[in-house]
Amino acid sequence: MSHSTSESVPGLKQKKVFKIIVLGDSGVGKTCLTFRFCEGQFLDKSEATIGVDFRERTVKIRNEDIKLQLWDTAGQERFRKSMVQHYYRNVHAVMIVYDVTKPETFHSIASWMQEIESHGLMSAPRVLVGNKCDCGTPESRLATTYAQRLADKYGMPLFETSALLDSECDNVESIFMTLAHKLYSKQPLRVISIEGELGPRCVTLTRQKRPARNDTCLCS
Amino acid sequence: MDPYNTDEDCVNKCNLNGSPVLDRMSNDLNHTKNIDDIATPSELNFDQEFDYEEPEITEKKKEIEQCLKNPDIVNVDKWQSFARSKAGLISDEYRKVIWPLLVGVTLEELTDPPSLDELSTHPEYNQVVLDVNRSLKRFPPGIPYEQRVALQDQLTVLILRVIIKYPHLKYYQGYHDVAITLLLVCGDRASFPLLCRLSYGPTAPLAPFMQLTMQPTQHLLNYMLPVVRRADDRLAECLDKSGVGTMFALPWYLTWFGHSLNRYSDVVRLYDYFLCAPPLFPVYVTAAIVLHRAPQVFSCDADMAMMHCLLSRLPDDLPFEDILVVAQKLYEENDPTDLEPEVAALERREEEQRKLEEERMRRRRAGRVVPRAPLSSRLARYLPAPLRRAAPRRTILAITAALLAVYVYYRPDIFRMHPNEDK
Ligand SMILES: Nc1nc2c(ncn2[C@@H]2O[C@H](COP(=O)(O)OP(=O)(O)OP(=O)(O)O)[C@@H](O)[C@H]2O)c(=O)[nH]1
Ligand SMILES: [Mg+2]
Repeated sequence: MSHSTSESVPGLKQKKVFKIIVLGDSGVGKTCLTFRFCEGQFLDKSEATIGVDFRERTVKIRNEDIKLQLWDTAGQERFRKSMVQHYYRNVHAVMIVYDVTKPETFHSIASWMQEIESHGLMSAPRVLVGNKCDCGTPESRLATTYAQRLADKYGMPLFETSALLDSECDNVESIFMTLAHKLYSKQPLRVISIEGELGPRCVTLTRQKRPARNDTCLCS
Repeated sequence: MDPYNTDEDCVNKCNLNGSPVLDRMSNDLNHTKNIDDIATPSELNFDQEFDYEEPEITEKKKEIEQCLKNPDIVNVDKWQSFARSKAGLISDEYRKVIWPLLVGVTLEELTDPPSLDELSTHPEYNQVVLDVNRSLKRFPPGIPYEQRVALQDQLTVLILRVIIKYPHLKYYQGYHDVAITLLLVCGDRASFPLLCRLSYGPTAPLAPFMQLTMQPTQHLLNYMLPVVRRADDRLAECLDKSGVGTMFALPWYLTWFGHSLNRYSDVVRLYDYFLCAPPLFPVYVTAAIVLHRAPQVFSCDADMAMMHCLLSRLPDDLPFEDILVVAQKLYEENDPTDLEPEVAALERREEEQRKLEEERMRRRRAGRVVPRAPLSSRLARYLPAPLRRAAPRRTILAITAALLAVYVYYRPDIFRMHPNEDK
């Protein structure tokens, strides 16, 4: 077992898992952004995503290991209905991506919002990400103020970044961490993932940390 | 041995519809260098050179060459038997001639393609170009830059020609992976009628993927689990329990594995077979692969994410000759029509699940909060699998009830345990 865990029962590894779904039109850079976050580099030969790809990374929040599961979906419309539906189950947070050099990808946001609303995710933590900031000129890129207005309307924070630029690596990191922190502080009780040999026959339910309180685990 | 290493590896490397990224990254680095190094021209050929050739293959080659001397008098059955039997059509040199014959393409159908400019107003043009531009990995390593760009243009033209000829067929991401395989093997003149045959017609294997929605594709993929179940009930149970669904196999089916395999030779070998197999055959190959990987599936957590990750990533050393033999046997023993009732049952179950989910959503929007499924069954999922299986129902109920009590005690707002149900 290669990573540290907040072990409370011998032989039982446990980590909180936050599931984040990444949405947006085809070609906006969803795959590159999730790759940047999980692998720390730009994916220079990205391919069309067919269906849903999965990536994950463990992060630390207040000394606790949290597993972020990223579900990178296909942008093409035809995959949305029927195919991807299954993957909305148990989603905790949503990232919507658009391409700052392609206004039409920004205008699709409304339909992506409808989509997440139909899955009852309007109250889940969400972020809006304008990608490919490295491209074009300030005039040719979609104006931040314009994007900000829409983000405000939907009540979600806006980030502009680039999956390509190494200098933006920290920024990409902070976008995902924003979601992670939000989830962390908002979580009520969740049944945590159980990995590892199940020695004692036991189901572990941890009480989720509330910001002002100490962690209490029912089993510890 | 640490049984979790496999899972760990799987997670760390998992991405891109399951291809091992790290391996590919290192290839890509070389790849980039080669592409830029236009000075060294190379043949468009990824056939591996073997020092040693099995006598059986040498014999088969001779036989194929004999037939190719006078292809007009050779029956299609003969080509099919070459394509199916061990090693398939062996070399791209043979494939180039035989693939069109397998689907009945005639010489008159070989026509020169239009220019790209003529097609660039098509509504799907942007999506096609976007996908074609991201298909670098499918080209032979070391291909000169100009040649690659020229091929990419041919690829775009090829795809657009088909969907212009049959406007009711919709382009899907993954179609370009099929098209490029045909293009690389057969060239731009022969690949057009070939791709048309595969895309249009009542038994065309790609036709279901090109409908308005992916519903027909989803339906066909649902044959996989019943096939697995008939061969290995416990394995099917394991897959079912994890809730992994069929998404891991979607790119396999949509691209006939072209998108998901790293070795070109495996891809063309499979195409040899698929070009003369029933349309649903790739789903049986999928089942055969899952059966082949049963030990890994059993040692994987019964968790959707882990399972998706494990299965979607195809190992580089799959024994495809054996897998094809197994798939053929599965097909003969479990005809699609026999499986229909099982598929229907599976779809009914999914539909019920979906309705429940929808109902929950509807009520939630209406302001009431309802649990998604009986809590006892939700909690039971977290019981250790052996216990869940072995214990009589009563025991599970008792344990569940006890847990429930603890649970409710600590969480009076229990029905809001799901984050997205929070107000
Ligand atoms: N210049 C620039 N290009 C980018 C950036 N991010 C992604 N790209 C490029 O944009 C293209 C699309 O990126 P992907 O990540 O594959 O897009 P996607 O959103 O996953 O697309 P689908 O899988 O089709 O839904 C690729 O060619 C990337 O190289 C960025 O930040 N800057
Ligand atoms: Mg993608």
